[in-house]
Amino acid sequence: MAAEKTTDKKTIGVTSGNERILASLAAEGLFSTDIEAAKFAMAHAIDMDVKRGTTDGAGTKWNVGSFDSDGALKAVVEALYPEEGQPYRLVEHLINEGLKLFDKGSALPPDVAGTLFATKSA
Amino acid sequence: MLRIKSLHLKDFGAFKGEQAFDLPSDEGVTVFYGENMRGKTTLLNAFRFALFGKIIGRGRRAVSFHDMINWEARADGARSFEVRLELSHAGADYRLTRTCRPKSGAGAPAGHSDYVADYYLERGGHILPAQQAAIELERILPEQIARFFLFDGELLQEYEDLLHGDTDMGPKISQAIERILGLPTLTKSRDTLKLALDKAEERVAVAAQGDQKTREFGNQLQSLVEEREVLTQDLFRHERDLEGLRAKKVAIEDDMRRRERMATLLDKRDRLAGEVGGLQKIISEKKDDIGKAMAPAWSAIIRPRLVVAVTAHRAREVELQSAVTRAQVLHSLAEGHEASCPTCLQTVPPEAQAKIRAMLPSGQGSTDEAQRELGGVRRRLDALEAQLAVSNPEALRLLWADLEAKRLEMYAKSAEIEEIEKQLTGDAEDELKGLRRDYDSIVRQIAALEEGIKATNEKLAGNANYRDNIQKRLDKLAGGQMDSERRRRDMASRLYELFKDSVDVYRDQLRHRVEADASRYFKLLTTEQDYAGLRINDSYGLMIVHRDGSDIPVRSAGAEHVVALSLVAALQNNAQLRGPIVIDSPFGRLDGGHRSRIVEVLPDMADQVVLLVYEEELPPARAREALKGRLRSEWALERQSARHTELVKR
Repeated sequence: MAAEKTTDKKTIGVTSGNERILASLAAEGLFSTDIEAAKFAMAHAIDMDVKRGTTDGAGTKWNVGSFDSDGALKAVVEALYPEEGQPYRLVEHLINEGLKLFDKGSALPPDVAGTLFATKSA
Repeated sequence: MLRIKSLHLKDFGAFKGEQAFDLPSDEGVTVFYGENMRGKTTLLNAFRFALFGKIIGRGRRAVSFHDMINWEARADGARSFEVRLELSHAGADYRLTRTCRPKSGAGAPAGHSDYVADYYLERGGHILPAQQAAIELERILPEQIARFFLFDGELLQEYEDLLHGDTDMGPKISQAIERILGLPTLTKSRDTLKLALDKAEERVAVAAQGDQKTREFGNQLQSLVEEREVLTQDLFRHERDLEGLRAKKVAIEDDMRRRERMATLLDKRDRLAGEVGGLQKIISEKKDDIGKAMAPAWSAIIRPRLVVAVTAHRAREVELQSAVTRAQVLHSLAEGHEASCPTCLQTVPPEAQAKIRAMLPSGQGSTDEAQRELGGVRRRLDALEAQLAVSNPEALRLLWADLEAKRLEMYAKSAEIEEIEKQLTGDAEDELKGLRRDYDSIVRQIAALEEGIKATNEKLAGNANYRDNIQKRLDKLAGGQMDSERRRRDMASRLYELFKDSVDVYRDQLRHRVEADASRYFKLLTTEQDYAGLRINDSYGLMIVHRDGSDIPVRSAGAEHVVALSLVAALQNNAQLRGPIVIDSPFGRLDGGHRSRIVEVLPDMADQVVLLVYEEELPPARAREALKGRLRSEWALERQSARHTELVKR
């Protein structure tokens, strides 16, 4: 298991607990695909200063080739986290942490507009 | 001259038990004072019930007999009510008694249809047979003109319809006005002569058929006469149907007016529902727009971090680029590829080259590493800049703000719809929708009938032309044997034309007389000095005329009231039938100045005037001062309980 974590991931997934939130976020955020919603969750986690780490129990949902076909996401993550050696593992972690942040229980949908409005302007 | 002598009530509305009042035989005014809900309108209805068997509530709606039995008396077991009216008319004394009681075998009465109202009429103390009683009653006061004798001041605005040709009430009132003015006496004569003319033409046709020379024309004339009969019958039927439909339309309009608030709520709900539908469509379009714009939303969230990272990477790129360039130059100098220094352009001696070689790290490794790092920095920089280029948080915020605003608007309107629906009962909505359906249907039927009547009239005109043509030919051909029939026809024709013209002349004269009298009353009643009088139109509608000669196109409710009272007074003056006036709420929304003038003028409007007022609108002291000797008696409607009022003479 330790050996596995020394190389970056070839697939990205979300934990079973986060599947519902991802679906809800994709619907509420009017995203065309759940990949866009996952990236949005990742960005929310970055914006909220979620610490680096890894997520256990995330299944296989996307190949990195389909998730980040031009490698732009990887390059951005590397730029934001220069010390990170396994950017896709970090991406997966950030997605799952971001989804948790959106979890307001089943009664309330994720607040997509609020997240956008709360973003600090550049 | 019709005069009321007394009225007796038994368990009628608020008037519990047996109560009565006499009206003085002298000319003048009797005032009944009563606060709201004491029974002033009920008293007006007592006259109406006795004369016509009808009780009318607000908005001309018929009131159920079941609700008119005094409630306290009903609780004590009473099941009927009665009104007795003593009158004098044309030198005879009458006593009219009308009783409302449950229909036999109807069980416990629960509604209007469970009751029957019977009457009997006594003349000089003898009960008249039913048929004769009906004829006498119709002669004493026809129901069609009752509006000019028994009226609610609050309904005087109905007379405004006389100014507008597009209402159904206007023609009805015009007919009633012509009736009270006695025009029907002349129009009936004209119609009788028309019948005589038609019969004379028919006789001419029959006579022509008997002669060989004129038989063909006689046959044609007979066919035309028969066709005319059919067309005339059609016309009568259509006109009768039209009148019925117009009455229904007026009734529905009244009903709809009463349900105005409900209708307003329904209209508002439907309008809001339409707006919510429109908003849903807009929201759907906006969602599509947002859906297209959300792909780079993730980079919009972290745009500040991307900007910082770009700055850092640019700085690092510059650093690395300088280091790589410096290393390349030094290598070149150390290896002697360059003869002179690229900065000072002086020749680099061998000792200096050796010194540079000593300073340089051994091998190419560090330069390659810097090159690789530079490549990585540039790759990341390209990615960062690409994301910055597509991230536009402001545009996304605007899209979402717009969507949220529309959603809020939609929720607000939906909440309003819910509130309205709480106020709408299912029955009320269905009834109103039913009324509107009926109204639309009646309007369509009226339009179709009017078209039919127009077409029938055109056919009748064509028929008349054709008949006239044939008559002329017959006159040329016919011999002496038809002379008597032709003379009869010519006589009938001339008489008919004479009466036809006289109806127009008389109508015109009546209008002028009504206009002059109404103007006189109006000037007595109004406090506005700039008004010179009233101008009448063909339907007896009255326009106020300014002293500069121009019409006043828009007038207040108060002005309408004064104009309507002036018309009623003028009609009383010119009526064939003179009688009492009983007025409920005579002052409407008029100010003190107008009220005083009305009180002063009222005794001139009719020999016998009964006013139903509350003390605040006409304080007794003011009534006594304004009417002086013409105030004949005063009565109070005194409260005994919420359901019991007593008539008390003052």
